[in-house]
Amino acid sequence: MMTLIAYGTIALLLGITSALAHRRATTRHRDVAADAWVQLQPLLLRLPPALLAGVFLAGLVPEQQVVGLLGEASGAYGVLLATVIGGILPGGPMIAFPLALALLEAGMGVAQMVTLITAWSVLALHRVLVFEAPMMGWRFAGRRLLASLPVAPAAGFLTLAAETVLAG
Amino acid sequence: MAAPGSHRVPPWRRIDGTTVFFVLLALATGGATWWLHGPGAFADTLLRALGLLAWIAPVLLGALLVGAYVQRLLPRATMERWLGGRSGLRGLTVATVAGAVTPGGPFAAFPLVVALYRAGASVEVCIAYVTAWSVLGINRALIWELPFLGPDFVLLRLLVSLPLPFLAGGLSRLLRRPPT
Repeated sequence: MMTLIAYGTIALLLGITSALAHRRATTRHRDVAADAWVQLQPLLLRLPPALLAGVFLAGLVPEQQVVGLLGEASGAYGVLLATVIGGILPGGPMIAFPLALALLEAGMGVAQMVTLITAWSVLALHRVLVFEAPMMGWRFAGRRLLASLPVAPAAGFLTLAAETVLAG
Repeated sequence: MAAPGSHRVPPWRRIDGTTVFFVLLALATGGATWWLHGPGAFADTLLRALGLLAWIAPVLLGALLVGAYVQRLLPRATMERWLGGRSGLRGLTVATVAGAVTPGGPFAAFPLVVALYRAGASVEVCIAYVTAWSVLGINRALIWELPFLGPDFVLLRLLVSLPLPFLAGGLSRLLRRPPT
């Protein structure tokens, strides 16, 4: 089922975008394929070891501690803790998602995981240092970070609320 | 990203720090699994990882192509036209949609924010755009999140993330310094 949904979504989006591009004289499918190839190249070497590391890590994570600190039962406290962990988690998706898989399989709660990924995406201190502050200036970056602080806990609490509604 | 000045690089030159890091991490975690849980567990985990790799390869390929199509269909100039000079709820909504469909990493999104900011788009709109690109970015959700965490998780997370760009954009309005 999961395979069907995932592959179906991608196929549908690919169908729509390529059909739209086909109707435009200026967009050539060959150029698009070349763009995608440029992006694929670095992944060819990195992805297999990253995935291996992620799956091996999943088996090594101390499950009881993860469940205790960030499991479903950790509630609001777990959401706040996940915000802190997500905010300081360095690196791109190649590190974050295998780790997320490992933590989720070790028993981390869904709301806490939503919080962690949201905090990692909006706060992304590494990205602020490398891209945002140099390009936009510290004033903009600081104002955005401050305005983004409540965003990750909000996502976590919304998930908790959604779970309650779905369960009730 | 289509790097205009990209030239052919021999394969071994592409082995960069990130790749080395992951190879070492995979070896260390694999070794620890063997040592702590025995060769049986090691073989099981290895098979699971290879299965996952085979499963995500087509998703990755498809999502990269979708991203490349979107980039050609929505050039930066179009995005700038959408977002420039808009403000209020309408501006935040347009920024949210634009952020969600912007494919690629920070090297694709931030130049657009810089251009918008310089062209006079409000800080709220810029912050809503960055937030939407971070939490609703469809391209990243498809490439990374879907294969690792599954469609149920992705759908739930995207759903609860819908109000977040408005929240950040609205809050940034409150943070404006009073005119001196």
